[in-house]
Amino acid sequence: MVERRRTLGHDLPIHVVLGFLAVVTFFPFVFLLVSSFRSTVEFMHTFWGIPLVPEWANYRDAWKVISPYMLNSLIISGASMFGVLAIASVSSFVFARFQFPGREFLFLAILALLMIPSILTLIPAFLLIKDLNLINTYWALILPYIAGGQVFAIFILRSFIASLPEELFEASRLDGASTFQMFWHIALPLSKPMLITVAIMNVLSTWNDYIWPLVTIPSQKLWTISLGIVSFGSQYGGLERWGPMFAGYVIASIPLIILFTLTMRYFIAGLTSGAIKA
Amino acid sequence: MSATVTAGTPGHAASDRAATPPSLLVRILSYRTVYLWLAPTFLLLFIFNYYPAFSALYHSLFQWNGANIKLFVGVSNFVELWHDPLWWESFWHLMILTIALVLINLTFPLGAAAMIFHLWNMRMAYFYRVLLVVPMVVPGLVVLMIWKFIYSPNIGLLNQTLELVGLEMLTRPWLGDFKLALYAIIFVGFPWVAGIGTLIYLAGFQAIPGELMDSAVIDGASTWQRLMFVELPMVMSQIKLVVILTIITAFQNFTIVLVMTGGGPGTETLVPGLHLYRTAMAYNRMGYACAIGTVLFALTLVLTYLNHRYLRSSVEFSGT
Repeated sequence: MVERRRTLGHDLPIHVVLGFLAVVTFFPFVFLLVSSFRSTVEFMHTFWGIPLVPEWANYRDAWKVISPYMLNSLIISGASMFGVLAIASVSSFVFARFQFPGREFLFLAILALLMIPSILTLIPAFLLIKDLNLINTYWALILPYIAGGQVFAIFILRSFIASLPEELFEASRLDGASTFQMFWHIALPLSKPMLITVAIMNVLSTWNDYIWPLVTIPSQKLWTISLGIVSFGSQYGGLERWGPMFAGYVIASIPLIILFTLTMRYFIAGLTSGAIKA
Repeated sequence: MSATVTAGTPGHAASDRAATPPSLLVRILSYRTVYLWLAPTFLLLFIFNYYPAFSALYHSLFQWNGANIKLFVGVSNFVELWHDPLWWESFWHLMILTIALVLINLTFPLGAAAMIFHLWNMRMAYFYRVLLVVPMVVPGLVVLMIWKFIYSPNIGLLNQTLELVGLEMLTRPWLGDFKLALYAIIFVGFPWVAGIGTLIYLAGFQAIPGELMDSAVIDGASTWQRLMFVELPMVMSQIKLVVILTIITAFQNFTIVLVMTGGGPGTETLVPGLHLYRTAMAYNRMGYACAIGTVLFALTLVLTYLNHRYLRSSVEFSGT
């Protein structure tokens, strides 16, 4: 009891400051959530009040507009994520556990890409997609997302797989396991927390990407959620239909929040441990 | 299959065996399956990363519309850039943004991480850590649109708050204000604690060896002294990493400006990335856009190098 009081006494000033920062950080989000249930009339009169009767029509209207964009983004981000995991885990395994000629050079060739800003490649990559006739297709996003996403994924996964004890692989080798079996039955299952971290970071970045889909997907039918949010926000904001606009923002946030809730344990552990220190 | 695995490290072992060392070709051939496994990675990298990067550097020397017109013009794109008032204006904005963002990332997230680290109550520390990650999963564009709403002239959250507390005279269309628009953009995300920066710093603090902290306490160091002379020097690598990430992000990310102001009012918030984008997409001047990209790339390299060279690294205690 005394111990707890001492802890609280020590922590109290910190709680005050951190609490204040948290309130300021979260206030806009809470306001967004509350306002998404406000009718347009209420917006004019009770800006700060809590809507007594939630206006579900906001969500109905917003869903109609935003759901096709969500579906596009689910397909694109999902396919990119699986692509990155499949390709990066294989390459990371190879880089981590084999001493083949040219290993250092090839790995450096991948790492060097971390230094190349996307702004440099934006225009030539766009023209390449155009030449490949991929404008207005899911592939225009998925293929570059896999190509770019694997760089960081390999960077993280390689050092993790390299840190696994060699005895594990030695033992299974003596048992006559093939390289593929070692990859599939040892390296992959042990890397699960890192794979999940990589997967979430990849989904976060593709779900949030704006410029690349803006450039390569002119057709509104194939728009991703980011393009949808901006166009939807400007359109409804311009009409002063704030309720549906906020409802749309809430809907657009749900998939990532679900994904995050399901995997939080791994994600936070992965983020604050090895992943970033490296 | 397993034969390819057991090879270990040949090169050095060969000398004491006196037998002829396997030639490079033989070794490469013995690893052929391994290269096959790497093929998808490199195939994608060549097509979608290396090729566009080299294409950008190469075409910065051309007058190019991306299709039929392609004329070698030497360095004249760069000469034109040197005399381009829009470039210099956007570059000035970028400097202000970058310096502001670096300062922000060296204070707020670092302070928040240090405070969380100093909590005695571990469960509350974990609670804050989770709390700071939550806003990261709200889609970035939603966050930007919320800030656009906060700044909006009539019904915006900022103006409404000012009216509520009796400061009507301060209300204005923040993003449409010629003097303030750029600062409004800098202010997006206030108080800037919920992000990757805080997590990186926190990871750094947590990696400080316990003995080091204990000996500081035994030597009678106050909390403040511990922070200044033990903890901050120990997270120097993390500080460096955050500074590099901030600079790189500032140099290439123009989504925020494009969405919030479109570079306006006038050209008050134009940044080089947006200038590049317009040059290419609106005016079809691909060669000139590539030249802008090349300059931005070179500047990022120089800044990364300077950061690496002149910001001291953590004491080599953490091992990694």
